[in-house]
Amino acid sequence: MSDNERGNDDELSLPKATVQKLINEMMPDDIACAKDTRDLLIECCVEFIHLLASEANDICEKEMKKTIAAEHVIAALKALGFEEYLPEVEVVLQDHKTQQRVKDKDRKSGRLEHSGRTEEELLMEQTRLFAEAKERHQTQQN
Amino acid sequence: MRKKYRTKFPVARIKKIMQMDEDVGKVAQATPILISKALELFMQSLIDEACLETRAKNAKRLTAAHLKKTILDKEQFDFLRDIVQNVPDPQAGSSSGAGDETNNSSTSGSGGGSSSGSGSGSGVGSTSGVGSTSGVG
Repeated sequence: MSDNERGNDDELSLPKATVQKLINEMMPDDIACAKDTRDLLIECCVEFIHLLASEANDICEKEMKKTIAAEHVIAALKALGFEEYLPEVEVVLQDHKTQQRVKDKDRKSGRLEHSGRTEEELLMEQTRLFAEAKERHQTQQN
Repeated sequence: MRKKYRTKFPVARIKKIMQMDEDVGKVAQATPILISKALELFMQSLIDEACLETRAKNAKRLTAAHLKKTILDKEQFDFLRDIVQNVPDPQAGSSSGAGDETNNSSTSGSGGGSSSGSGSGSGVGSTSGVGSTSGVG
């Protein structure tokens, strides 16, 4: 079931299957969602994205910045009357920043330098660990 | 409010949708991720409120009409008004075959106490195309 319409940019929307799953997770157990209601919900979501993007963009431009950053999105939510979303959105932002920091650390410092041992020592340790593992394995087999 | 969902919006798609707007230039990596979260909360909010309407109408299915009423009633959803403009009003006869609902205002005449009040004196006044009302622009 491929709903991918790669025609114009104008037809760009959210994937129906994903939205359907989300709707099912969000709806109460005793109420069902009609199909055209789902399509309408999708339109509302796309509109929400446009609204938020546009507002964030305006805020970004006012700050003379070129890239729409997280702070602009947060300010946009406030400006549009969606303050109630802010606590959860900020959690997502913190998580993202933390993940980024971990990634940067791994990339920049490299595990070799950080282990505090030379390559020789590491090689010896590796040989030793393999030997130990082999022993263990043989013991288990017996 | 349910907080943990298994499904997530596709972040790359959100970014593409954002950039449909010509004014939107570069977008930081975190940005579509945050918008995805906000969208989740928005959808939940919309669904929750619309379901209130569904229950009020004693219906088992969430219809476009319920959504429309929700959007018109809540200021936060003002930006959605244009989208639901084409949705038929709840008072109208169900032309889109959704009809599980028991509407309070039925178009098939009950003579007394019609709530749609177009008062044309021909019994029950309905605003949708039954064809006999005079006051429709």
